[in-house]
Amino acid sequence: MTTYGTITRQVIDELTAIVGPRNLIRDEEKMQPYAHDETPEEQYSHMPGVVVTPTDAQQVAAIVKLAVKYLIPVTPRGAGSGLSGGAIPVYGGILLSLEKMNRVVEIDYANMMIVVEPGLVTNEINALVADQGLFFAGYPMSLESCFVGGNIAENAGGGKAVKYGVTGQYIMGLELVTPEGEIVTLGGKNVKDVTGYDLKRLIIGSEGTLGIVTQATIKLSPLPKYKSDLLVLFEDVAGAIDAVPVIFSKGGITPTSIEFMDKLSVHTACAYLNEHLPYQQAGAMLLIEVDGSDQEQVDLDAERIGELLMTHGAIEVYVADNHTTQERVWSVRRNIAEAFKVYSPHQSLEDIVVPIAAIPALMPLVDAISKKYNIAMPTYGHAGDGNLHTTLVKNPESTMDEWYAVEEQAVNELYDAVRSLGGKISGEHGIGLKRKPFMQRLTDPVELKLMRAVKRAFDPHNIMNPGKLFDVEEQA
Amino acid sequence: MNILVPIKQVPETSNVKMDPSTGTMIRDGVESIVNPLDLYAIETANQLKERHGGKVTVLTMGPPSAHKALREAIAMGCDDAVLLTDRAFAGADTWATAYVLARAIERIGGYDLILCGERATDGDTGQVGPNIAAALNIPLATYVSGIESVDTGRGEMSVWRMTEHGYEQLLLPLPALLTVVKEISFPRLPTLRGKQRARASEIPAWGAGDLGAEADKIGLKGSPTRVVKIESPKVTRGGTVVKAADGPEQAVDQLVAFLRGRDLV
Repeated sequence: MTTYGTITRQVIDELTAIVGPRNLIRDEEKMQPYAHDETPEEQYSHMPGVVVTPTDAQQVAAIVKLAVKYLIPVTPRGAGSGLSGGAIPVYGGILLSLEKMNRVVEIDYANMMIVVEPGLVTNEINALVADQGLFFAGYPMSLESCFVGGNIAENAGGGKAVKYGVTGQYIMGLELVTPEGEIVTLGGKNVKDVTGYDLKRLIIGSEGTLGIVTQATIKLSPLPKYKSDLLVLFEDVAGAIDAVPVIFSKGGITPTSIEFMDKLSVHTACAYLNEHLPYQQAGAMLLIEVDGSDQEQVDLDAERIGELLMTHGAIEVYVADNHTTQERVWSVRRNIAEAFKVYSPHQSLEDIVVPIAAIPALMPLVDAISKKYNIAMPTYGHAGDGNLHTTLVKNPESTMDEWYAVEEQAVNELYDAVRSLGGKISGEHGIGLKRKPFMQRLTDPVELKLMRAVKRAFDPHNIMNPGKLFDVEEQA
Repeated sequence: MNILVPIKQVPETSNVKMDPSTGTMIRDGVESIVNPLDLYAIETANQLKERHGGKVTVLTMGPPSAHKALREAIAMGCDDAVLLTDRAFAGADTWATAYVLARAIERIGGYDLILCGERATDGDTGQVGPNIAAALNIPLATYVSGIESVDTGRGEMSVWRMTEHGYEQLLLPLPALLTVVKEISFPRLPTLRGKQRARASEIPAWGAGDLGAEADKIGLKGSPTRVVKIESPKVTRGGTVVKAADGPEQAVDQLVAFLRGRDLV
């Protein structure tokens, strides 16, 4: 276990010399927002020793060098919209927020790439390049608030991953400040590059444990001109889930998204939004989007999927093919997590992922755990890529201690179920702090040994976002 | 119960940009949709049909491409549609538009009720519905927020309408025209089967000649409205700050006086 140095007057003075007094926060009240992300605050939050908001890569490198000198942990942070506690300064120390590094460095239309700093809100990219008929296809659901840096750290996925994949597929190059305070450029604008190990891919999804991204070169894609959405109602969860593999195997179409929502999820989001989708008659719904550059083809694809599902158990297929109706249906899907927080603040939002064909087998297992522990487990998420946000909601009658015990046991059983189907415990939210206790048990010991070796190679002093993913020292 | 729903195709205004030099809307690349407030009229019509039988016919005056709006309404459950399209209709204000719609409604005939949206999201006048009622000389209720009862046998209906001070209940003999507000219903989404039916539907297109419309009552010629100037309003929300410098009680008194002065408490 590393014994870390403390934030002394000397450290503050040196940090102030690097970033200037305006980019350093010590006031308790002002540091409070940096103590948590979107995971339950009472369970996971931790106050930083000091918050710094550097404005360029040189400052970030100088801060890291100082942290090495005094052996102080550094926790990089984007927008704080993470769902695994990855940006929580669990050992205090320096919280390094990238909020002020939000410039667009270059828009390179000839290569269809954009170079940005990590503090840029992801959707800003799309707003900037939409006029040129381009977009960044790898974005997550929280694109209006999350930062590019966080997307890279978590290799964020999202609602369009079925067709477009996840963040990592679009990151061409990175500028990184290593855990020893050196600045290095990995990858670049070359479409092909096998010049040595692909360290760039290693950084993507490393949750800020291998360094701090200070610049990213992102690939842009042609923005599809047309899209059409289907809201498909099924009598029950099994009906909806069973239909998902059929879309691929018999439809011959790769939709942009296939989102799944059970009745409880739709009901809660509708109540929150004062929306009236016809959820009363349906036990579960699929929200399917197709897009393309030809209106007729898009309509045809949507219709073919709709027809196919009508013969595979759908009780009704609604069509949203203009912005207003599309916003109506997607707003329900996007607001489910937010709605559940209002409904019950004590819950565990999970991020399990299984091979697509295994989704039908997973659902009865989820149902059995829900019944065994007498807790509601609404399930929604990206059915098209097997990534489901099953949520464990505290039973109102149980005490907090009982809830924490039930939560741990139920999550363990859920993870075992997922593993038995060849799945993983996180598809897009990451391990961070929240899932670290489960990581050791559920990961192949050899894989874990290799991961630890990588961590040590990058971060010999163990100062870069320590306490996340796994413990560097093997636990007895 | 046969219901007619005049609707309008409008530019989707949620992401519309204005040209600051001319003060007009930049229509390039903007999708055309059914006026969002007309969806409540369509939904209410469909619900009444489901309860009382009959059919729902939608009609719109616009360019040939406005058939898309009519097909969307059919996809939501409406039965028939009529497109009123003629170069001679171009440039119509609310008066000339209502005249053309009223002539078409007379030609369709056999209706019990006409339902209109509160207003269109582009013109924002709220005049076409009432103008149609005037042209047809039938009873009118605007800002209808709920339907209390319909008695098809006696040919009357009871509705709630919103006023500045609350709600009032009206009993109307049929046929009548209602303009409805958002509170009245939640518009359903079009179904796949509805979309397919809409695509297969033949929508008659009527021109000025079909309606026997008088040439000086249609289009720009028949429009008494003249647009003198268009400008974007400047939003100012200064508000009044009640300061508690002389103690909270005085501040509360001031606030109460402020609210009383506006009949709010």
